[in-house]
Amino acid sequence: MKVILKTEGLCKTFKLSAKQQKLQNTKKKTITAVDNLNFEAYEGEIYGLLGPNGAGKTTTLRILATLIKADNGDALVDGSSVKNEPDTVRSKIGFLTSELKLEDFFTPNYLFDFFAKIHHIDPEVSKKRKEELFKKFGIDEFAEVKVANLSTGMKQKTSLVISIVHDPNIIIFDEPTNGLDVLTAKVVTDFLTELKAQGKTIIISTHIFSLVEKLCDRAGVIINGKMVVCDTLKNLTAEKPLEDVFFDLYAESAGVKV
Amino acid sequence: MKNIITIMMKEFTRFFTDKRMVIMTIMPAVLIYVVYSFMGSTLGSAFAPDEDHKPWAYAVNVPDTVSQMISDSGVSILSINDDEIAETKDRINAREVDLLMVFPENFGELIQTQLDGLADGSSHTRAAPNVEIYFNSMEPNSHQTYFVVTAILDVYKTSLAPMFDINRGIEDADLASSEDFMATMIATMMPMLLMIFLYSGCMGLALESITGEKERGTLATLLVSPLKRSELAAGKILSLVVLSFLSGSITAVATILSLPNLMGTDGDVLDVAIYSITDYILLACVILSVLMLMVAMLSIISAFAKTVKEAGQAATPLMIVVMLVGVSGMFGGGAQTDPLYYLIPLYGSVQSMSGIFALDYSPLNIAIACASTLAYAGLGGYVLTKMFNSEKVMFSK
Ligand SMILES: Nc1ncnc2c1ncn2[C@@H]1O[C@H](COP(=O)(O)OP(=O)(O)OP(=O)(O)O)[C@@H](O)[C@H]1O
Ligand SMILES: [Mg+2]
Repeated sequence: MKVILKTEGLCKTFKLSAKQQKLQNTKKKTITAVDNLNFEAYEGEIYGLLGPNGAGKTTTLRILATLIKADNGDALVDGSSVKNEPDTVRSKIGFLTSELKLEDFFTPNYLFDFFAKIHHIDPEVSKKRKEELFKKFGIDEFAEVKVANLSTGMKQKTSLVISIVHDPNIIIFDEPTNGLDVLTAKVVTDFLTELKAQGKTIIISTHIFSLVEKLCDRAGVIINGKMVVCDTLKNLTAEKPLEDVFFDLYAESAGVKV
Repeated sequence: MKNIITIMMKEFTRFFTDKRMVIMTIMPAVLIYVVYSFMGSTLGSAFAPDEDHKPWAYAVNVPDTVSQMISDSGVSILSINDDEIAETKDRINAREVDLLMVFPENFGELIQTQLDGLADGSSHTRAAPNVEIYFNSMEPNSHQTYFVVTAILDVYKTSLAPMFDINRGIEDADLASSEDFMATMIATMMPMLLMIFLYSGCMGLALESITGEKERGTLATLLVSPLKRSELAAGKILSLVVLSFLSGSITAVATILSLPNLMGTDGDVLDVAIYSITDYILLACVILSVLMLMVAMLSIISAFAKTVKEAGQAATPLMIVVMLVGVSGMFGGGAQTDPLYYLIPLYGSVQSMSGIFALDYSPLNIAIACASTLAYAGLGGYVLTKMFNSEKVMFSK
């Protein structure tokens, strides 16, 4: 199996403002969101980053997508360093997170074409792809409705479709099913399975255990910015359900009994 | 390059397909036109002398020659006595009488003594006889009569001591053409107006296009695309330049069109034909370069700001600077000649505009101003690129 994505000692700290210090009742000036994180993802698999709120999942994925820079360490995405070749990395990945918004004023149709142009996709190819994806996610009926007037779920589906305009080989989705109803969530998870069948590598972050159990080939558990375990799902769930495994790990690493 | 065009096209689509934005851009121009025209017509009717009015001048001890000259010019003369002076002044104040002239009793003799004195060189030891003229400047007819009468007295004064003649036999003595007058008038006002229009035009647009997108999280979506930060910065700056050029020039054209109304002159006050093609090309260069600089500065402010409101507050001090620099173009009697002044950002551009409008400029200085302004704008673009790259700037909440 070929390693297609690899992080090497990723570290990220954020400065805390005086207000935040007060809120969190701490004298620390910085917070460590990602603490020497190492993991690898193999080509053609679905890799799950699992962790509680504030564990550092989103931060890790933002570093991989080159939106923010690691203080220390590097990550190689299909051989390109996020530190040294951010432009190349961005052209190889499709990234989705809730902080990326689409302009309210435009329609899904316009935005798809716009991002296709940014990615230098042949108009013919892009047109075909748009038809397919819009149909699959039910966006076709809303293709000419301004984003502002779309429902939350439709907005999220549009964002998802647009994040993969360029048919990337590596797909990084942060909480892809958050805020979606079960039907829509199923469309998304089915789509991820389909992408995997096409040979794409998918990295998702989530705090939903069932999602990892259902989808992922391998998973890593992050607690307080540290990777506490990283293994195939088979090995992880050999003895007990993933949720129980997580509670044990959490008690161990945080030193508290859950 | 292709990406820059894609970004620009998106910005244009955003602008031109949004009725609200188009209206907001055209509105100032419409307002200026309506307000100036309205101000002009009301001011005009308040201050213009009335055409049918027959001017009357009251006079004490007026010599016959003077009386004759004044009546010839259409102002009727009514001689009155010393004791009526106070009453007549009150009537001028009450706008019933246009004007009062008071000549000394023995005006003729006094003039003669003065002339004899001129001959033997002793005139400067005696005070010249004095003529008092009273009028009411708030009454247009009175004001008009005052102009006529003083002009005639000036002629009379010269004719008394005919040491030399002025303009005898020359009909069109006033050589100032309407072009010169307009050029001076425009040269003083236009640079300031243009600077303000351009700045306010690009302010709204830049805040919306950069802070707005940052605040709403749509800039982040662009930042995860393979787009280069420099391409994003260039696309934003160039589209803002084009759009604010449009909005600024619409406002400027509205101002120029309403100037005749404002000044109460009818017809073509502004003969735009007084400027040559070269003048226009140079002006366009100056305007485009200074716009680039303004857009670059505003983009940096917008990128720093967390909210559109904050950006608006931060952009206001710069607005004041731009206005003051614009006002500086109205003083100092013509454009600067020292090339060094043209290296000063904004100021150099204002001086260039003043020079072009006054038809009195050095092409070298204008080239210096454009080149240096473009260099500063380029520096601004570089800073903006760095800012798009900085997570502190782009993702600070
Ligand atoms: N810009 C920032 N400034 C300060 N602190 C931050 C910033 N971004 C993230 N953090 C902190 O870093 C930690 C990790 O955040 P992150 O968003 O990566 O968590 P997460 O695992 O995605 O959590 P969730 O499941 O709630 O989405 C949190 O404590 C968060 O408060
Ligand atoms: Mg998160």
